[in-house]
Amino acid sequence: MSGVQLLPAAQAPLLARPYYARGDPGAIVAALAHVPEVLEVAMPFIGTVLGPSSLEARTKEIVILRTSARLGCRFCVQTHTVAARDAGLSPDEVRALRDEAPLAPTFVDPGELALLNWVDAVALGPGPVPAAAREALRSLLGDPALVELTLLVGATVMLNRFCTALELPTAPGVVARLAAEGLA
Amino acid sequence: MTAAVAAAIQDGTLPGRLWLYANYHCNLTCAYCLTESGPKVARRELGRERTLALAQEAAELGFTALGLTGGEPFLLPYLPELLAELAGILPIVCLSNGTMFTRDRLDRLRPLAELPAAIQISLDRPEPNDNDLMRGPENFRKVVDAIPKLVGLGVRVRIATTVASISDGERERLCDLHRRLGVADADHVIRPIIHRGRAVDNRLGVQVTPADLPAELTITADGAFWSPFGPTVHGGRLDTDLLVTRTTTPLRVPAAALLRLVRDQPPGADTQLNIR
Repeated sequence: MSGVQLLPAAQAPLLARPYYARGDPGAIVAALAHVPEVLEVAMPFIGTVLGPSSLEARTKEIVILRTSARLGCRFCVQTHTVAARDAGLSPDEVRALRDEAPLAPTFVDPGELALLNWVDAVALGPGPVPAAAREALRSLLGDPALVELTLLVGATVMLNRFCTALELPTAPGVVARLAAEGLA
Repeated sequence: MTAAVAAAIQDGTLPGRLWLYANYHCNLTCAYCLTESGPKVARRELGRERTLALAQEAAELGFTALGLTGGEPFLLPYLPELLAELAGILPIVCLSNGTMFTRDRLDRLRPLAELPAAIQISLDRPEPNDNDLMRGPENFRKVVDAIPKLVGLGVRVRIATTVASISDGERERLCDLHRRLGVADADHVIRPIIHRGRAVDNRLGVQVTPADLPAELTITADGAFWSPFGPTVHGGRLDTDLLVTRTTTPLRVPAAALLRLVRDQPPGADTQLNIR
């Protein structure tokens, strides 16, 4: 049960119709469609920041799933558990990112541990991110990646709150996949 | 983008009339009402100041005319004076069911005689019983009483006939009637019932797509729409399929969005049903 009406295709506003052209556009689009002028700028932004880019898909899904778990977003954790698995993360890695198991035995790469330490600091705040956490990541990845990852955490937090506040329902296909993989 | 909207209106890409939904409530509950208007629905008024501001911005953007509709706009106590103010900004047509023209209200409408303003009144059938079947008791009598009084004041009156179908004989009798009331043939429009709003429940009217409706920017309390036939209500819920933007102020935002939508229309996707 959603906390807001999810607009069906028949009620899709004119600017939102392209997002329905290939069938069910998903709960985020169906909610944003209520304000089509926001939808048509939000979706390219979300797609650019969360989608394929110069950063590895594995890195991005680690960031998104960890952020979503720390923010307690059921919709995003479930949806990005599937995305993380598709990006090559193992079930154990997913469980660790979801705070269902300790990080340390599963994640051993120093770069990924630095990333996770930094993600927790950025996502949870409040206040400045410890300089040590930022510089550890910056020295490994450089400024462009640091900027993009910071925006990725920020966009994920925005979506976490959007999906949680509106109680958006997880897609049935995602729920079925999680059950099939023992990650429900 | 402001210049692009003005150019599009000038070259005919965008219609020049901006429609404003003054309110949604009405003293009637017509069988085919697009907005399920009635005495007990939420008013959702645009408001006097906002209406004036939108009209002013419309003029600055290059729109050439205004349309005011509802609901029944004349239920708003400030409507006669507002109409005169709007007509001072751009030529205007105000849609009405024609049942609200008391002596006092008629007197307050006198200034319209000197302004580019018209009142478009609904009259569907030439005989009272047939007309009132769709529009409610006493509608015919009130309308044929009001029209000559408005005409007598020098106010331009148009008549809109909304029907699923009409026989040649009925059309002739209806035209005889409006001529007797002082309304010229050029000011009489016959249009189909649109299958939206209450017409859906009563299984009336024709299905429409955006291609059937002129892309006349329409502003309501709920957002901006493709056409005055867009912001319909069914089952108490606003239809959003012809919503353009929720943003209505500044007006250039929905105007620019509408222009983009119009330019995306495939060739030949123009008006088919003479819906005005």
